[in-house]
Amino acid sequence: MVKTDFLIIGGGPAGLCAAIEASKRNVKTLIVDEGVELGGQLVKQTHKFFGHEGFYASVRGFEIAKRLISELGENVTVMKQTTVTGIYEDVITAYDREKDLVIEIEPKYILISVGASERFIPFENNYLPGVYGAGAVQTLMNQFKVLPGRRVLMIGSGNIGLIVSYQLLQAGAQVAAIVEIADRVGGYQVHADKVKRLGVPILLRHTIKKAIGEEKVEGAVVVQVDENFNMIPGTEKEFAVDVICVAVGLVPSVELAHMAGVKIEYIPELGGYVPYRDSHMRTNIRNIFVAGDLAGIEEATTAMIEGRIAGLAVSQEITGQNLGFELEKMQEELIEFRSGPFSHKVRKGLERFFPQYVRDYSKNSQRDLGPATKLRPIIECYENIPCNPCQTSCPSGAITVPGNINSLPVIDYSKCTSCGICVMKCPGLAIFMVQENYQPGKDLVVIPYEFLPLPEKGETVIALDRDGEEVAQAEILKVVKSANKTHLVYMLVPAGLTQTVRGFRIPQKAHSLVCRCEEVSVEEIEKAIDEGYTDYEELRRYLRIGMGPCGGRTCRVITLGILARKTRKNIKEIGFGTFRPPSMPIKFDSIIKGEIKDEK
Amino acid sequence: MKNEYRVAIIGGGIVGCSVAYHLAKFGESDVVVFEKDYLSSGSTGRCAGGIRQQWSSPHNVILAMRSVSLFEKLSRETDIDIEYKQGGYLVLSYDDQEAVQFEKNVQMQRELGLDVQIFTPRQIKERFPYVNVHEVRLATFCQTDGHANPHLANFAYARAARKLGVDILTHTEVVAVEVLHSGFKLFTNKGAVRSQILINAAGPYSREVAKMVGMDLPTESYRHQIMVTEAVKNFFDPMAISFSGNFYMRQTKHGHFIMGQGDIDEKPGLNNNVTYKFEKEMARKMSKIFPFLSKLRIVRHWSGHYNMSPDAQPIIGESPKIEGFYYAVGFSGHGFMLAPAVGEAIAQLILLGKTIEVDISELNINRFEKGIVREKNVV
Amino acid sequence: MRRIITHPIFNVEKTKTVRFFFEGRELEAFEGETIAAALVANGIDVFGMTEQSRPRGFYCAIGKCSSCLMIVDDVPNVRSCITLVKEGMKVKRQIGRGEITW
Repeated sequence: MVKTDFLIIGGGPAGLCAAIEASKRNVKTLIVDEGVELGGQLVKQTHKFFGHEGFYASVRGFEIAKRLISELGENVTVMKQTTVTGIYEDVITAYDREKDLVIEIEPKYILISVGASERFIPFENNYLPGVYGAGAVQTLMNQFKVLPGRRVLMIGSGNIGLIVSYQLLQAGAQVAAIVEIADRVGGYQVHADKVKRLGVPILLRHTIKKAIGEEKVEGAVVVQVDENFNMIPGTEKEFAVDVICVAVGLVPSVELAHMAGVKIEYIPELGGYVPYRDSHMRTNIRNIFVAGDLAGIEEATTAMIEGRIAGLAVSQEITGQNLGFELEKMQEELIEFRSGPFSHKVRKGLERFFPQYVRDYSKNSQRDLGPATKLRPIIECYENIPCNPCQTSCPSGAITVPGNINSLPVIDYSKCTSCGICVMKCPGLAIFMVQENYQPGKDLVVIPYEFLPLPEKGETVIALDRDGEEVAQAEILKVVKSANKTHLVYMLVPAGLTQTVRGFRIPQKAHSLVCRCEEVSVEEIEKAIDEGYTDYEELRRYLRIGMGPCGGRTCRVITLGILARKTRKNIKEIGFGTFRPPSMPIKFDSIIKGEIKDEK
Repeated sequence: MKNEYRVAIIGGGIVGCSVAYHLAKFGESDVVVFEKDYLSSGSTGRCAGGIRQQWSSPHNVILAMRSVSLFEKLSRETDIDIEYKQGGYLVLSYDDQEAVQFEKNVQMQRELGLDVQIFTPRQIKERFPYVNVHEVRLATFCQTDGHANPHLANFAYARAARKLGVDILTHTEVVAVEVLHSGFKLFTNKGAVRSQILINAAGPYSREVAKMVGMDLPTESYRHQIMVTEAVKNFFDPMAISFSGNFYMRQTKHGHFIMGQGDIDEKPGLNNNVTYKFEKEMARKMSKIFPFLSKLRIVRHWSGHYNMSPDAQPIIGESPKIEGFYYAVGFSGHGFMLAPAVGEAIAQLILLGKTIEVDISELNINRFEKGIVREKNVV
Repeated sequence: MRRIITHPIFNVEKTKTVRFFFEGRELEAFEGETIAAALVANGIDVFGMTEQSRPRGFYCAIGKCSSCLMIVDDVPNVRSCITLVKEGMKVKRQIGRGEITW
């Protein structure tokens, strides 16, 4: 039997923040978490968070997890790989997977912050291996560093679908398309812009009809839908993909809360069935609190604030301290974060529990594009997201998010020093820098870049517009590396394109295959010759040209041609190598059969 | 090509390139390698790439163990991925007497610090379910044995040696050697060169090269045939081999199965042809032992040479008769796997007058005066 | 190869490798990763078959959806997506309901 004052079930952003508040006030706390490491979904997030500095804005999710864990005091005990399996009348049980045993826990107060699980959608063959939930793809890719496949079809354009698409591209996978059943993108525009300018199409009013494949996913059929979301026959499109990633939303995990006797209500705006709670996150059961996605599907930042509120409320009860001021401050934070247009639904849902307030914010976006002769930021932030790192990071005070954190940023170009820090910091990668006529006939555009490899100074790249379409060739002027991994790429584009170019692609060398069997290209052969492999047989052994089933039929002559050209020799002077039997692949069985026949 | 080098090496296979690399690594880069054809054109480029430490004589075990520790570092050291994999050597015995000998060998190998296991047929089946253990007496298995891509390992040494300043000249054949009062004069198809030291690393041509300095080496070359199948997904980690069963087989990194056997009817000589008899014998034998092979196709079949010494062990060292003439020959089918340690040892012998990591004195040519104790672990 | 070798944002730290068996095949994994991650890294997507003979992979990766059940060291119904791979572990596909051996 483990006794504790405060049991936190689930060590994600909400649970960790509650533990930090309790730990600051010397409350004996136990966190029980199912995961291999604490942090919940945070550990899988490689993007920078929105919000303000107090809640780790512009810090990447997995870094936030590390910071939160480091703030846990000594009075916090952690059990990892352990699942709370029941809240009974007499006791709470948890199963430790590592030790393979059940632990009984007797706490005074409980916070249930177990998060949510993935929503699923029915489509033909959706059971096939290769169909993954978005969380699973993130776990695999960002926690275990394994890609689920090579080419992915993303279902859903909410923030998760958009972010996971971007992360897949960063990890080296391809994203064939993002499919969205509604007529507009579900997530933030800045997230959508990030994938669009990398050339990923977002198919609105489309849905997945079926997965193709016998044993595992080999493709997908996508179909257009009408206003009533009915599939329109004849509009099917086929994609060759090996992964179908389903990002169609989350369902709060209310099982434990319900077992504990918490009142559960159906509130679609909060994600479906959610537990009752008051403004201190206390449920109808006196000693049970809830926080995070389980209490309503929202962002990690609000989960952290809810967690702090629950932690403060529990600490207040246990220690008898008056934490009214701290609680009020956190509630103010919640109100401010939920004042924006994206929180409209959440506010509506939460009104069922207690009154909701909003703080006014400015909808005026930066109109003036600034003086053409100056290198200056262009802020493409048109949605009222609760976020202000551009303001707080600007060393010269040029950028302001007036009034409320949901307001749109404005910039005073006369104060701007062209330092580029706002470009590095913006979590939405929505700030660029431009300067017209940097050189005669050339404009300068600065792009935030989070991919490998980084381009090199002087390299020619292909400039892309906001939809990822090629617009021109550009020359890399310099690359400023940033510690936060959002690097700045300065590139020269043809004049007149400062408001068009928003990305670039390092040209993939066109690969002309010489050897089909082993997929060897002209470029690889030329490179090997440059490295000193100047003999046909050496090239063959080094690159495996002609070692495949075709026996060198397609590649030998071409390779000899390349060799002759590169070494400036007549093809007759170059040894053409040896021809080896058999001239076509022969089965062991066929040889044995022939021999048996001979013996007869 | 300069007019004069401190060291000249004949043979651009892995042995010659390893000697060159180690000389340069230890500070002597005034070295030239003469290769009459292209790099890896001889035995190296034709071998299966096995790397084994399970031998019947202790000095071979020690030499091979040193080689393994050098192979482990080779990709990193040269920045060329040599496709090295320590998937183990599974040595199957089909003969009672051999099985008894294996148990003795394992005892000796373990005493030398090699982790070798003995498997019963049932244990073999458990660990390698794709092997048909019919008539197998036992097997020995050493996990740190393995294989690598011989071409890439050869190129790795060559490229690293070149980077350190060694001249490696391909299509440059040494046709005659004049032994001078001090050093040698080499006549090649591209001109003459002098060197202080001359190393015979000519593999199958070792005897011909020795004759150029007026020496008769007791080596003879025998053709060995080898073939490769189409690629399938990788599942077969070890090199499977049998002396009594007369075969070896492994799966390459690219998924092909490469395999061969010895032929007791083979006459000595430099013959690069191939026979269908070999394919027939292999097809029958190998698909019985590895039933999954029966549906696989052979895509290529070639031959190379074992440069055999009288006791099937390499002849390494300095000539007792001609000062400055060294040889690393007669590897009897195992030059690839021993090349790293031998290259290192020869380089040390030349530069320091003695070897450091391994004692190669028992592999000197003098040993044949005492009589011949044959290495048994040879396919 | 499905392992991410380099990444623009996070460092890919190498941990100790462990060997485990999948259907008798010896495979390599990294210490601290789940069986599911190790299998996918080795190119294995099919974790078993449903009772009605449909191939199964894993779906949620957090031990909730039951799509990833496998036989691990002769124990059926193990959630491979939250069970860490261990040296020498024997992992098998589970066809339909798991069987108990005795």
